[in-house]
Amino acid sequence: MALKKLDVRGAKCPIPIVKAKKEMDTMAPGDQLEVTSTDPGSVPDFQGWVKTAKHALLKEQRMEKDEAGKDLYIHLLERT
Amino acid sequence: MTDTPNETSESQVPSLEVGALLPRLDRGEKVLLLDVRNDDEFETWKIEPHRPVETLHVPYFDFIEDAEASIAKVPKGRDVVVLCAQGGSSELVAGMLQEAGISSANVKGGMIAYGLYLEPVRVPLEAEAAARYELWQVNRRGKACLSYVVVSGEEAVVVDPSRHVEWYQGFVAERGARIVRVLDTHVHADHVSGGPGLARALSVPYFVAAGEGFELKQPVTPLADGETIRLGGATGVSIEVRVLSTPGHTPGSTSFLVDRRHLLTGDTLFVASVGRPDLGGHVVEWGHALFDTLKRRLADLPGETRVLPAHYGGIGEISAEGVVWSSLADLRRTVPEMQIATADAFVAAVRGAVKEPPKAYAEIIQVNLGAAASEERISEWELGKNQCAASAKKAAGA
Repeated sequence: MALKKLDVRGAKCPIPIVKAKKEMDTMAPGDQLEVTSTDPGSVPDFQGWVKTAKHALLKEQRMEKDEAGKDLYIHLLERT
Repeated sequence: MTDTPNETSESQVPSLEVGALLPRLDRGEKVLLLDVRNDDEFETWKIEPHRPVETLHVPYFDFIEDAEASIAKVPKGRDVVVLCAQGGSSELVAGMLQEAGISSANVKGGMIAYGLYLEPVRVPLEAEAAARYELWQVNRRGKACLSYVVVSGEEAVVVDPSRHVEWYQGFVAERGARIVRVLDTHVHADHVSGGPGLARALSVPYFVAAGEGFELKQPVTPLADGETIRLGGATGVSIEVRVLSTPGHTPGSTSFLVDRRHLLTGDTLFVASVGRPDLGGHVVEWGHALFDTLKRRLADLPGETRVLPAHYGGIGEISAEGVVWSSLADLRRTVPEMQIATADAFVAAVRGAVKEPPKAYAEIIQVNLGAAASEERISEWELGKNQCAASAKKAAGA
């Protein structure tokens, strides 16, 4: 089970989900993807997306700060 | 070549400015509005044209997850206008629809642009008054916030400007006048004022009265209760704007009486309600002050005085002329809180009706007192409509 990382800092919607979906399509069931975003809107949007997503589960969402103190929104997804 | 089809289709998506879309929707043009925001955003804040618009809600991530099924939800043969929070996701979806043969356009800048859009409406004046001045009610449709531009001769004052200050500069310049003073009716709690910034850019006096308990951190040119500002310049025409202290919504709340007949009340008195006195943690004290203002301070003004507030609660409050206004006589008769006879009953009623405070109101008050904040933060705070009236239905409910 691999863990992949996807950095979409600075990108606004729809980019974080477009890229996450593209990445997830290449992964095997059980693999995880950690998405790092600076867009606060990505939090409800990932929650909304996994409701209808056929092969994605949202395992965790958390907030961190980067070196400059800017808020980061981290989404951990699992390919099902 | 593999990645290009997407990009090409996106660049072919027609884009529509909010200022071009709204008049079409107001006229009742038969477009289909496709809102692609997430459920929460869609539920809490909607575009509000003067006539109902047929709206379809399919979040953009549904289009990413299953394009075919999502496109199938959009009826064919319709003119589709796609809307999202900032204009990025709606552009993607509009591109997908175009590719599927559905005529669609993207609302440029999305709800953020809607929240900033300003629509000037000229207040009708009698011929004698119209020869001396123009009064404009500037409607910030997305927030239901109203600001005012008064032009007499070559001079203008701006009251309660939103933070889109260049707009006011351009608007007044187009009328061949210059802004000589900027006024705020009070320290706003629901939106960041453009007042200090506009006054600074033009090096003209700025006025706001914060009142007891607030520390103003920016330069203000004080005006006394009853003081008069004369506008006109060297043109031979002139009018007076009288300063009226009307505490209650905030301890410093001030109304401006333009040419003895138009009362810019700020958040003191709306056309369907009164201002909420609970945003400072002193609801009893401020509530009593508001009662005194409404029953005594405004009692001296004649019933034909036209009240022009800083907010409205819904499109039902916009008159046939497109103006949010009413006569003081009508408001004394129709506004529920104006019917209450005693201060204690008034305070009890407004306390009982208290709704959610505006989003981030404590932070917004600090910025309006002079604290710094980033554009990003302000933009986030200002999403959604105002919550400034004491009664009336929830602003979010259409």
